[in-house]
Amino acid sequence: MSDTSAVTRVLFEDFAPAAIAVFYLIAAAAIAIFGFGVYQQVRKYRYGTAAEVSGGLSARFREMVGTVLSHRTIARRDRPAGAAHRLIFYGFVLLFLGTTTITLDYDILGPLFHVHFWHGAFYLWFSLVLDVAGVALAGGLGYMMYRRGWLKPPKLDYARPDRKPGDPDYDRSDYRREDWAFLWTLLTIAVTGYLLEAVRLVWLEARPDVWETRWWSPVGAALAAGMRAAGMSAAAGGAWRLGLWWFHGILALIFIALIPFTKVKHIFTAAGSLLLRDPLAAQRLPKVPVEQQRVGAQYITDFTWQQLLALDACTKCGRCHEACPARAVGAPLSPRDVILSLREFANRTLESGVLPAQAELDVHGKGPGQVSMETLWSCRTCMACVEVCPVAIEHVPIIVQLRRKLVEEGEMDPQLKKTLQTIHKSGNSFGESKRKRAAWTKALPFAVKDARKEPVEILWFVGDYASFDPRNQKVSQGLATLLHDAGVDFGILYEGESNAGNDVRRVGEEGLYELLATANIESLSAASFKSIVTTDPHSYNTIRNEYPDFGGRYAIEHYTTLLLRLLQEGRLKIARQLGQRVTFHDPCHLGRFNKGYDAPREILRLIGCELIEMGRCRSNSFCCGAGGGRIWMPDPPGADRPAHNRMREAAAISGLQVFVVSCPKDLTMFEDALKATGNEGQFVVRELIELVREALAREQLAPVPGAAA
Amino acid sequence: MKILVAVKQVAALDEDFEIRADGRDVDPDFLVRDLNEWDDYSLEEAMKIKEAATTPVEVVAVCVGPEDADEALRKCLAKGADRAIRVWDESLADADSIAIARVIAAVARREKPQLLLAGAQASDHAFASTGVAVAALLDWAHAAVITLLDYTSGAKSAVLRRELEGGVLHEMQIETPAVLTLQLGINTPRYASLRSIKQAAAKPIEVLTPADLGMSSAEVGAAGSASRVRRMYVPEKGRAHMIEGSVAEQAARIAQLIRERTGGAP
Repeated sequence: MSDTSAVTRVLFEDFAPAAIAVFYLIAAAAIAIFGFGVYQQVRKYRYGTAAEVSGGLSARFREMVGTVLSHRTIARRDRPAGAAHRLIFYGFVLLFLGTTTITLDYDILGPLFHVHFWHGAFYLWFSLVLDVAGVALAGGLGYMMYRRGWLKPPKLDYARPDRKPGDPDYDRSDYRREDWAFLWTLLTIAVTGYLLEAVRLVWLEARPDVWETRWWSPVGAALAAGMRAAGMSAAAGGAWRLGLWWFHGILALIFIALIPFTKVKHIFTAAGSLLLRDPLAAQRLPKVPVEQQRVGAQYITDFTWQQLLALDACTKCGRCHEACPARAVGAPLSPRDVILSLREFANRTLESGVLPAQAELDVHGKGPGQVSMETLWSCRTCMACVEVCPVAIEHVPIIVQLRRKLVEEGEMDPQLKKTLQTIHKSGNSFGESKRKRAAWTKALPFAVKDARKEPVEILWFVGDYASFDPRNQKVSQGLATLLHDAGVDFGILYEGESNAGNDVRRVGEEGLYELLATANIESLSAASFKSIVTTDPHSYNTIRNEYPDFGGRYAIEHYTTLLLRLLQEGRLKIARQLGQRVTFHDPCHLGRFNKGYDAPREILRLIGCELIEMGRCRSNSFCCGAGGGRIWMPDPPGADRPAHNRMREAAAISGLQVFVVSCPKDLTMFEDALKATGNEGQFVVRELIELVREALAREQLAPVPGAAA
Repeated sequence: MKILVAVKQVAALDEDFEIRADGRDVDPDFLVRDLNEWDDYSLEEAMKIKEAATTPVEVVAVCVGPEDADEALRKCLAKGADRAIRVWDESLADADSIAIARVIAAVARREKPQLLLAGAQASDHAFASTGVAVAALLDWAHAAVITLLDYTSGAKSAVLRRELEGGVLHEMQIETPAVLTLQLGINTPRYASLRSIKQAAAKPIEVLTPADLGMSSAEVGAAGSASRVRRMYVPEKGRAHMIEGSVAEQAARIAQLIRERTGGAP
């Protein structure tokens, strides 16, 4: 091989100065259009309200970069799509960096400092890397086309559960066209790049520095070989090169110009959304500032600029659509559609730069881009959507903000209205007298300490269901016995305890939530204890994550970690291994919300249960349907329910004996669902506490009433 | 245009309760208080008329009761009532429904509303008489237990519907000013969010005594009442008891009981 130190690609070779000027003009126009588009989007986001972004920017930035580079979130629950996107991403980034390198050499360092580095060995390696990058890009795009065109995963069907066939925005066919246009455009840019490379080689075949180094561009060289074999002359190559050069160049510039106007903008919006993510978005809902006039979100401009930006980050990937329990049972809600509707609404009303009349900014209703109350009330706030979203869209706070406005207007299910009034009046959702909150303790052979009157080590926040529901009272008595037997110094608040408010807040009744939280914090501050334990994962979540915003900061755990510790320390002694084949249902508020996945599983292992996981477990656990206040709303008669769906999933485990739960609401929901799905007699639903009791007993305990053996 | 809505803070029994020492009422410590359910509907009806009106309508809630009745009035204010009036002094403690009606009538004379809406009855004492007594005292037209009301703000008359026994509907036209007592279910009362209740706490409640309304002590309280509670008590428990055992045993026991009660042969 001859000396290659001078080898490079001569830019604009054989171009007339006028042609070069035309190219720069087009490039400048493309960048101007891009710039205007960015300005227009930023202007749109600025119509949003102020956003609170906590924490250091550099830490956020590092995490965002880590997420983007690793593709961690995109590969979740769809590895092939993650791999293909990784190819597209890295291919695109390298090709973009390649173009930037050339610009740096040719337009910046060259003219300013007469420094050129884009030649010789660097150039050759550059050519090779970019050729490989192009293959990655085209390969990734090819798989995505195969996926959309042939695999057709259901989550990529944009048909909406909250619209009827025939409605103008039913199947969002514009999005489908855009998806394909995007894939084809990018693929065309990649393919014409290779063709251009090849015809240039044919054109310059007589020049040794070009021809002899051609295999540093392996794809181009192979294509060139094919073209020559097909009889292409150097002159023909030159002619083709001119045509393809303009085509490839202008197409790439159009692509850049259109970034802010098309789905391509997710390059920026997704990164922005990831940068601004709130790691506790669903766990800790936003407070309503005292001075705020309106409650919740009524107008599109009531959302924060961060939320408006996040709307634009959605790539319609359908992970939330797939994970949503409401959608799975045919309710008129898909988290994706809520986001897309609001995005379309924002684009229509806020992009022009002239704010329309306020009435036209109302996002509630059934019109295009609006979100209906049926949709909002279908949400279980189970966080499945937020947890799986690869670009950190926070659906739950958006939905709750919209609900707050509905609550303010009283637009809700009559039964829910009644329950809220009941909670206001009696402090619990059962409408029972406050005095009866601790009635379940009367059946115990020992007295449970009153934490209001004497100091205790552990304050047990019992919660409504565990206090008042007859079936759950048995479980509460079981846990009290376990704690008593283990010698734990514990007590409860008796009438001093009110509904913790987690679900009231998720319904959107912020005023009532504040009342409940303040009342509980007042009771808790008056008591003397080291830490709190809860039966209810819902109470656990709000006390742990939300009470601090109201001045209540406590060491708190769910009973599962406490029991595990008592077992491990030997304070509770396992008498026998149960040897049962069980599956475990992760409660949303324990698992997804607070990452308490392991303690219940470890307990099951210790007591000798064979745990068979359901397909949807841990972070992908499937909500029982009770969350977000849905436990206080009737399900439409005849419709499928999340709990039924879950029971069918469990029933598919062969030889399953026990469906284990660790949440009072789960016990209620799933015992009903067990009967409703005709699985009674096949297996039973049991609280983890009941299994632990059984494993500690020297003799077999009598079966718990309500849990058929 | 003005609508006066008469409301009551009713009492409901808590789980276990005791009778007051004088034996004439439940010990107030065991009572849970709330706005009378019927009154929720009459306020809603007033709000509907107000919201449908093209000219301003003032909705005024009035309550005869002690300070804790403010809670009921706050709920009305939270739902959109413009003003609230509470009338009280100690002499009213033993008032019967006629004496209460006399106070409300005095407020109506002062306020001069086009309509006076009230619940058909209160859930605690269930006299169903205060509203109609007010009409009699004012000498206004009245209709009771209304299930549908059609009234346009400022109109000289209202059309209303009542449900009679046997599923017969009674539609009538009534001249205003009138006193109307409404039945449950006439509308869907709105939800008063905690936020609106808190905001209503800032609105003033006008507190009057019977004297402020020009009433003499002979007209109010026990002196102005035509009736008096003698005692309040829980009747002796009945002798119901559960029959246990197998179906055959239960049947035999029932047969035995029937024979005992009817004096049949053993």
